Amino acid sequence: MTTMQDRDREAIVAGLPEDRDMWTNKLRRKFYGKLPPEKLLPDRQPAYVSSWIYVFGVLTLAALAVVLLSGAILALKGPDWWHNSPEGHFVNSTHLWSVELFFFFMVIHLWGKFFMAAWRGKRTWTWITGMVAFLASIGTAFTGYVSQQNFDSQWISTQGKDGLNASGVGALFNVLNFGQMLMWHILLLPLIVGVIIVVHVLMVRLRGVVHPFPPKGAKTHPANDAPWTGRYRRYDILKEGTTALVVVFVLTLLFSIVFSSPDDKQVTLQQWAQNDPVDFVTTATGELSGSTISASYGYPYNNVPGSGQKLGPISLPSIFGVTIPVNPAKDFVLHPLATIAFNPSLGSALSTYNGASSTQQGKWLDNYTKALNKAQAVNGAVMVAPGNYGPLPVMMSALLKMADNGGLEAALVANHGFYGTDYTKPLLFLADGSYLGNIAQKDHLLGTQWGMMNETGNFPGQAWLWLYTFWYQVQPFASSGNADVLVWSIMILLSVIMILVPVIPGLRAIPEKVKVYRFIWKDYYHEEEKAKT
Amino acid sequence: MKLALAVILPLLASLVNLNSPGNYVNIGVISISVANLVVIILMVLVFVLAVMLPFPHKKEHGA
Repeated sequence: MTTMQDRDREAIVAGLPEDRDMWTNKLRRKFYGKLPPEKLLPDRQPAYVSSWIYVFGVLTLAALAVVLLSGAILALKGPDWWHNSPEGHFVNSTHLWSVELFFFFMVIHLWGKFFMAAWRGKRTWTWITGMVAFLASIGTAFTGYVSQQNFDSQWISTQGKDGLNASGVGALFNVLNFGQMLMWHILLLPLIVGVIIVVHVLMVRLRGVVHPFPPKGAKTHPANDAPWTGRYRRYDILKEGTTALVVVFVLTLLFSIVFSSPDDKQVTLQQWAQNDPVDFVTTATGELSGSTISASYGYPYNNVPGSGQKLGPISLPSIFGVTIPVNPAKDFVLHPLATIAFNPSLGSALSTYNGASSTQQGKWLDNYTKALNKAQAVNGAVMVAPGNYGPLPVMMSALLKMADNGGLEAALVANHGFYGTDYTKPLLFLADGSYLGNIAQKDHLLGTQWGMMNETGNFPGQAWLWLYTFWYQVQPFASSGNADVLVWSIMILLSVIMILVPVIPGLRAIPEKVKVYRFIWKDYYHEEEKAKT
Repeated sequence: MKLALAVILPLLASLVNLNSPGNYVNIGVISISVANLVVIILMVLVFVLAVMLPFPHKKEHGA
C-alpha cells in the first residue's frame, strides 16, 4: 500500500490513487483546486486595486464583527440588563452604533461595486450574495428594533405588523411576539446573514476583484473572467482586516461614549389607564362593540368577512387564515374581568352582559360610546352623563381599576401560564387606543411622518428604510386601503431587480455609461495612457 | 469599579445629548430627521471622497 510519507502538498491534497472515489477525497480536491491557500489568504492584488473604495468591504466585515461581539455580550447578560444598568446601556450603545456603521459601510461598498459593474466575469453570484446579505441584514436589524423592549419597539412592532400581515408573512412572523423576535434576532437571522456573507467572501476570493473596463483604444486587455495579466502590488489581507477592526472598534466606542443610545421607557396599560382613562375606557368599549382596528382586522388574528388588504383580487393573508387567534372582546375585556374575584357587583354585571341578547348589548354599547365622547376623568374614574348603559359602567370601571393596578398587563401577557414572552394582545389593545399614537406623533414616528425610518429623540434611525417609507407618502398609496400590500409588493419587486442587476439589460450597462469607474481606476487609466505616449 | 462605571458612563454619555426632542427637515412630501439626513449626507460624502482621493501607492510587481 502507498504511504503518505515524503509527499508534497499537492500530492497530499490529491490523496492516494485508491482513495480517489472517496467523498472526502473528492471534496478536498475540489475545494483545494478552487480555493488554494494563495487565494484564500492572498499577499498580492492586481495593481489597479488602488482606491479607497476597496476598503469598504473589509470595513463592513469589521463592523459585523463588532455587532456580533456587542450582541454576544448583551446575550450573556440577558434582555433586561441593558435597561437597568449603565454598563448594560453602554454595551447596548456599542451594539447600536456598530449596526449604524455596518450599514454605513455596506451601502458605500454596494455603491462602489455597482459603479465598477463588479458582476462582470462570472461574478454574478458575488453580486447576488452581496445584495441578499444586505436585505437579510435589514431584516435582522428590524427584529433588533422590535426586541428592544422600549417605547420604540412597541411602536415599530405595532406599525410594522400591518405590512407583514398584508403580505401574508405575518402569519408566521409575529413582530408583536417579543420571544419569537428575540430568537430570530439573536439566532436565526444572524445565522442566515453569517452563512450568506461567508459564501459572498468565498466568491470574492474565488473570482478575485473585477478587472477595470478596457482603456480607450486598448488592443490587449484580459477578458473579465481571465486572470489579470498586468502588474500586481503587495496586499496584506490580515493587516488590512486588523486595521479595519481597530478603526471600527474605535469609532463604535467613540460614538457610544459621546452619543449614548435611546431607550425611552415602554408604555404600559397601567400608565395608559392612569394618564388617559377616558381613552382607555373608550377603547375597551370599542373592543366589545367590535369597532376597533383589532376587532375588525381580519387575518391572521380573526376571520372578519371583507376585511384585510388585497393585491388586485388576491388576499395574501387568507392563504394562511387565522394563525394568531385574537378575539378582542373576550381577550381584552371579558376574560380579564372574569379573573377578578371578590367583586359581587362585577360578577352580577358580567352575568347581565353575557346573558343579554346581542341587540341589547349593542344598544348599551352604542349609548355608552356616545356618552364617552363627553366623558370626563375625575380622580382616575371615568364619569359620563346618566343613561341606559346596562352593566357597562361597572364592567369598565373594574377593567380600568385592574389596569390601574397593573393586573391587566399580567392577564394579557401571561394567560398561558407563569412565563410569558408574547405581547401580541397587550400591544394590539394598546395600539387600538389613541394614547400610544399621540406619544408617537410627538416623536415624529407616525407613518405619515416618515416614522418607520425615525428614532426617538435626535438619534439616527433606520435610514436604509427611506424608500420603503417614501411610498407611503405619495399617491395612490397614501390614501389606499391596500397601501401595505402594494408597498410591500413594490419593495419586493425592486429588491429582486437589485439582486438581478447583472442579468438585466440596460440596468447592467449603467455603470459603463456613467463612467464613475474612471475615478475608481484613475491610477490604472493614467498609467495606461502614459505608457501609450 | 462598578460604582465608578455607574458614575462615569452616564456622564460621558451625556457629552452630546441626543435624547432631546428631534429636529426635522420638511421639503414637500419629504420629512427627514436631521440625524438621518446627516447620516445620508455623510454616506454620499464619504463615497465621493473614497472615489476621488488618491490612494497611497505601494511597491508593484510584474505579472
